[in-house]
Formats: sequence, C-alpha cells, structure tokens
Amino acid sequence: MGWRTDDELQQMLRDSAIAFLGDAGGPGHFRAVRASETGFDADTWRRMAELGWTGMLLPEKLGGAELGLSAALPLAEELGRALAPEPFVASAIMAGTLLARGAGPVAAALATGLAQGHQSVTLAWQERRGGVGIPAFGTRLAAGRLQGAKVHVPAWHPGSALLVAAQGDDGPVVVAVDPSASGVTLVVARATDGTLTADVVFDDVRVTADAVIVEGDAARVALEHAIARGTVALSAQLEGLAKALWHETLAYMQQRVQFGGALSEFQALRHRMVDLYSQIELAAASWRKAAHCVEEGKLWGPAVPAAKARCSQAAQEMGRWAIQYHGAFGYTDEADVGLYVHCALRWSSWLGGASAHRRAALMAHRGGKGA
Amino acid sequence: MMTQDLNLLSNDAFRARWRDWLEQNYPAEWRIPIIRRLAGDEERRWHRMTYEAGWRAPAWPKQYGGLGLSLEKQLILNEEMERHRCARVLDSGGVLLAPVLMKYGTDAQRSRYLPAILRGEDLWCQGYSEPNAGSDLASLRTSAVRDGEAFLVNGQKIWTTLAGCADRIFVLVRTNKEVKKQAGISFLLADMDTPGLTVRPILNLADEDELCEIFFENVRIPAENLVGALDQGWTVAKALLGDERISNGAPTLPRQAFEVLEQLIETRGLAEDAGVTDRAASLFCDVHDLAALHSQVADAAIRGEVDNAVLGMMKVLATEAFQNISEEILNVIDEDAGLQTPTIGAESPLDLRKIYMIARPSTIYAGASEVQRNIVSNALMGKS
Ligand SMILES: Cc1cc2nc3c(=O)[nH]c(=O)nc-3n(C[C@H](O)[C@H](O)[C@H](O)COP(=O)(O)OP(=O)(O)OC[C@H]3O[C@@H](n4cnc5c(N)ncnc54)[C@H](O)[C@@H]3O)c2cc1C
Repeated sequence: MGWRTDDELQQMLRDSAIAFLGDAGGPGHFRAVRASETGFDADTWRRMAELGWTGMLLPEKLGGAELGLSAALPLAEELGRALAPEPFVASAIMAGTLLARGAGPVAAALATGLAQGHQSVTLAWQERRGGVGIPAFGTRLAAGRLQGAKVHVPAWHPGSALLVAAQGDDGPVVVAVDPSASGVTLVVARATDGTLTADVVFDDVRVTADAVIVEGDAARVALEHAIARGTVALSAQLEGLAKALWHETLAYMQQRVQFGGALSEFQALRHRMVDLYSQIELAAASWRKAAHCVEEGKLWGPAVPAAKARCSQAAQEMGRWAIQYHGAFGYTDEADVGLYVHCALRWSSWLGGASAHRRAALMAHRGGKGA
Repeated sequence: MMTQDLNLLSNDAFRARWRDWLEQNYPAEWRIPIIRRLAGDEERRWHRMTYEAGWRAPAWPKQYGGLGLSLEKQLILNEEMERHRCARVLDSGGVLLAPVLMKYGTDAQRSRYLPAILRGEDLWCQGYSEPNAGSDLASLRTSAVRDGEAFLVNGQKIWTTLAGCADRIFVLVRTNKEVKKQAGISFLLADMDTPGLTVRPILNLADEDELCEIFFENVRIPAENLVGALDQGWTVAKALLGDERISNGAPTLPRQAFEVLEQLIETRGLAEDAGVTDRAASLFCDVHDLAALHSQVADAAIRGEVDNAVLGMMKVLATEAFQNISEEILNVIDEDAGLQTPTIGAESPLDLRKIYMIARPSTIYAGASEVQRNIVSNALMGKS
C-alpha cells in the first residue's frame, strides 16, 4: 500500500538512513544533544559524512557525491522522523548548494571540509525576522571590508565555517568569513530543536579577494537555489517529523485504556487522527511536487511556499493533538512528544512560517509564475 | 468513427486530439462549470456524440465496445474537460453499472444493456438508499420475493438521482431476512416503466428536482434481471468501486470554485484586503496540495498501486475544500449573500448561491465524510 515511491537510489539512501538513525538519531540522541553546549554532535556529523550525506550535493572532485536534490530528500524525511539536530539542511543542502557553485581555493577547501565532515558550514543571509525569499541585502562588501548584520544564522557550532551573503559593488556576493576575525560579534541563542542560532554583526571586517565564493548574477542564482532547496528539504523534515509523531501517538492511544477501552477506539479521536494523517499526506505530496519544480529550475511558482506552509502546519497541528491525546503525560518533559513539538516549533518557523508561505504561494499563483 | 487505437497515440497527441474535438463539437451552452450538469436528453446527446466520434466509454474494455484506455489517458480526458469548462455528467450506466455487468452479468444481460448504454439510448439510475437505510445501507428493507419467473418487489427507495429521466434502474433488494443483513441482499435490474413503480421528485436546496423517491408496489421484475447470484448483491454492489474512486478525490470542483473566488476578489476590489488575502491563501494551498496529492496518487494507480486509504481521504479533502471555498465565495460578497441570485457581475451567469448549495451534499453522497473517516481509520488504526 502507498502512493509514495522512491527510485532505486532514493530507496538505498533511505534504507541506510533508517539503519544509521536507529541508534544515531531519535529521542535519546536528541536529548543528549540538547543537554550539550555545542548545538549538535560533531561525531555524528562525521559519521554522516562517512555515509556521504554531508557532501551529497558537492562535486566529486571535492569529495562530494554530486547528487541532486531528489536524492537528498528521503534523507531529510528520515532525519525529520529521527528528530536529528545535525545541520543537514543548513549545511549539506544550503551551504552545500552555494559551495558547489563556488570557485577558488577557499570554496574548495570549505567544500572538502564539509564533505569529510570536519566541519559544518552555515550561510548567513537573513537580515530581519520573518519574510519569505531573498531580500535586498543591507550588509555591504566594499573595498574588501564587510559591514552589516545578520540574524538567525542557523546551525551555529564552535567549529562552524561562515558564509555571508552581502551586497557588493556589482550585485550580490557570498564570502567566507572567519567567525573569530576582528570586527565579528556573535550573539548565540538556543533554538527549541537543541541547535544554536546566531545573530552576527560585521563591523569593518576585512575580507580578502580569495574569500569570495561566488558573486554577481551567479551569486544571486546560487542563493535562490540554496534557499529554495533548503526550504524543500526542511519541508520534508517537517513531514517526516509529523509522520513519526502520528505513529508515536497512535501507539500510545492503543495501549492507554480509559472507560474500558483503548483511546484508539474512540471515534472522535479516530476521526481527528485521520484528518491529521490527511494533512501529512498532503504535506508529503506537496514537498514532492516542490522538489520536482525546483529540480526543473522553477523556483518561483507556488509549489515551494505551498510545501513549506503545509509541512509547517501539519507538523504543528500534529504536535498540538499529540499532546492532547497523551493527556497530562504529554505535558511532561519525560514524554517524547515534547521533543517533537519543540523541534517542530523551530523547523516550522525557520525559513518562513506557514502563513507567510501561504500568502507567498497565492501571490506566486496570481503572478502566474507557473507551476 | 475513429479507427486508430487511441492507446497507441502519445499522451500529447492524444490530448491534442481530444482538445480539438471538444473545441469543435462541445456545445457552447453547456460550458458552465460547477453549476451545469447534463441530464436527460442532454446527457443522451452527449453519450451519442462521443459514441459516434469514437470517444465513448474510455474505461471499458474494447470487447464491450469501450476504448480500453489506460488510466493515464482517462485522466487526460478529464483534465481537458475541466480545461474546456465542460458541464458535469453522471453517466450512472457507463460508470457505475457497466463494470458490475462486466464482472457479474450474464452474456444475455451484457449484450442487452451495454450497447444501449454506449449509444446513449438508456440512462440508468442507482436505487440503493432507502428512508431507513442511508449510511447503514445493508439494513435496506425493500423486499423481493420470488414469484414464478419474476421477483415481486415492494418497498421504497429514496435520494435516487435523476430517476425522473432514467430509462432503467439498478436496485438493491432484500431477498433473505433470516441471515446476517449483508448476506440477504440481491442486485436487480428494472425498467422504469414497469407497472407499480412510481417516481416522485424531491426539490433540493439548489432548486433542482433531480433527487427522487421511488415507490415499488408489487412490481414484477423478471428473474433473468438478477445480477450475480441470489443473496450475493452486497458483493456485486461493491464491484462498483474501481478506478473511478480516484475521480471522487479530483481537485476539479474546488479548483473551479477557487477560480470563481479569485474573479470575485478581483472584480470587487478585495485584493488588498489582508483578511480576504489570508483566507484565499489558505484555500489556494488546499487546492494546490490536493492537486499535488491527486496527481501523485493517480501516477501510483497508473503503475497499479492503489492505496485505498488515501482515496477515501482525498474524497473528504476534495469535498470539504469545495465547501470551504463556496462558503468564502458568499463571505466576500457581504450582503449580496442574502440575495436569491447573487452573481459575480451583471454579465456573469454564475449563480453564486447555487455554487454554495451544490457544494453542500458532496460530503454526504458517495459515503458521508464521517463514514469515510471510519473506513480510513479502520485501515490506518485497525478496526474499532
Ligand atoms: C445529492 C445526493 C445524491 C444522491 N444520489 C443517490 C443515488 O443516486 N442513489 C442512491 O441510492 N443514493 C443516493 N444518495 C443517498 C446517499 O447515498 C445517502 O445520503 C448517504 O448514504 C447517507 O445516508 P443518509 O442521507 O440516510 O444519512 P444518514 O445515514 O442518516 O447519516 C446522516 C449523517 O450522520 C453521520 N453518520 C452516519 N453514520 C455515521 C457513522 N457510522 N459514524 C459517524 N457519523 C455517521 C454523517 O454525518 C451523515 O451525513 C444521494 C444523496 C445525495 C445527498
């Protein structure tokens, strides 16, 4: 049964993800990372690199697997199911997309480091909260000096490398910046998925010419792709999370007996569970459609924002009813439900929340930009 | 008549040919989506037209005179009809009865009834529901008692769509009261002009009288009109549920209704209203994602992987989306929603109240939403 199908490669990657995440993912792993100071576990990240995940989108000559987005998505879905805090979306997908399009020795070194799992790379592009799509950058690179500020830089880690999107003299530019360089100020905050996010200020930070990863029109296109791909992959993670939580909730309902019957026998609850499942099915279909559009280069139709909207909404709704159907136990930290709910809070708001994306989808439809 | 096998055409060529044919032959006065449904002589004309041009009965196997088209091509036909803004057609004979006759009918029944369905000579209606047997259909009581070479039928059917212009009816009747309720039902065919059978139309909220009550008073139905074995009617009736269930979850009506909403937002200058925009965005995403799900489920069905649970879900999603959009259509027209015949503008014939009312029963017929949720929950969560 089931309309969702993987091709051979996707199936292989999914199987390896399920096998690996069986002990390297899940609520236990999530709790351990949450209790640590680092935002994610570097050792798990390295092991993901050994499986080829971190360099999935990078060219072979830099140690990557040179695969497309579609190969990465079953992984994203499984990582979502396993509540993985590792920066797959932020680093392997978003930074990876930029590095794959970058040139020069710095880009190559970062790409190799990412593919080998020696470090994570994260992209600082957002400058204000909320909003969907790429804004005009207020952060400026002029005469080798970077000035400006970024917010919500995801997947921060003491060893992370930083890519910064800025406005250069001839259009957008993405540069590598050493986070410990003089003039860089970081304010790190904890996100609900256990990861760290950073607001970063650049005050007259020196940037050498070889730190330019990509510039001009190529930078704009690379950023568009990075964000669109990241949005779709994050959508797949959210859907995976929602699906896992649905099953977790059903399992609880089947063993919890009240009024002489299992909770799973009550019609009102069964109907809601069907509706939640329907939303998850819609979410799964929606991100698959978005992935198809992105791979065909159609980034600006309604498909990508519709996917992020549906997947965010499905995960949050699932969280709400999962707590409800677990009763008071669902309100405790001891129950795993809360982990899913916290993870969903972060993932559904990051890269734009449901209502902003719904509006973006409608506008794309009205603009007739296709798909 | 077309001689070439349509299945041999590429999908694009097939689509182009059907589109051309519709453009040249489809009557302009039928092109009112959502609201218009072909009935009676119009429906007969449509079947005859398509029959003569070689487009009739896309899903039927060729041995019965159908086109034997792949599911993929059948869906292309539907897509183009939506694009061309065609009216709805029920085709109970071609869609609901024919598959039953092919599976359970006798040769005599097939050769007597199928060609007349193909040519649009016979319209059929579906006599299942009764005053006291709706969702719980198996509790039906209309009785059939063997009397020589005939069954003597007494009882009442209700909610029979388009019974008033049908030539024949397929009915579920009780032939055994001693056994479990599903095990005592039989499937019979009858002519609507059989003595003792009377039809009374019922006015619905969309001002149509398509729904009917049918009274059976000592109606003699020849024994040869039994389809399948005696008391096996429940199994026979279930054979109806084939590929056509995919169309119950099609996004056609919600998508068409959403277009109407967008026209309204435009003509009434509401595009900048934040509340209207938020609600439209949400409805748009519902239609968009349903379409994405529907096409991926159809692709899976084309590969032969039919997922029963998701078909039930899609029926609920599609009909509830249709209702939500039709509600918003009346919401954005403010006081005009209280008019007998609100329209988009003076030159538009679309009756907005009618769209709202046509959306109402879609969550009741073909398995009420709650009953669908029961069925789906049994598949997902185990029987309760
Ligand atoms: C426009 C229209 C066309 C129709 N055409 C035909 C036709 O051509 N031929 C034919 O035979 N019939 C036809 N029907 C009848 C249709 O099949 C029945 O209306 C349907 O089966 C529901 O039965 P009911 O109306 O008696 O509602 P009931 O069975 O009385 O149910 C009423 C409501 O109760 C709820 N409900 C029922 N059972 C359950 C349950 N187990 N759990 C939770 N909630 C439940 C649902 O909300 C349901 O809508 C048509 C109906 C409509 C509205």
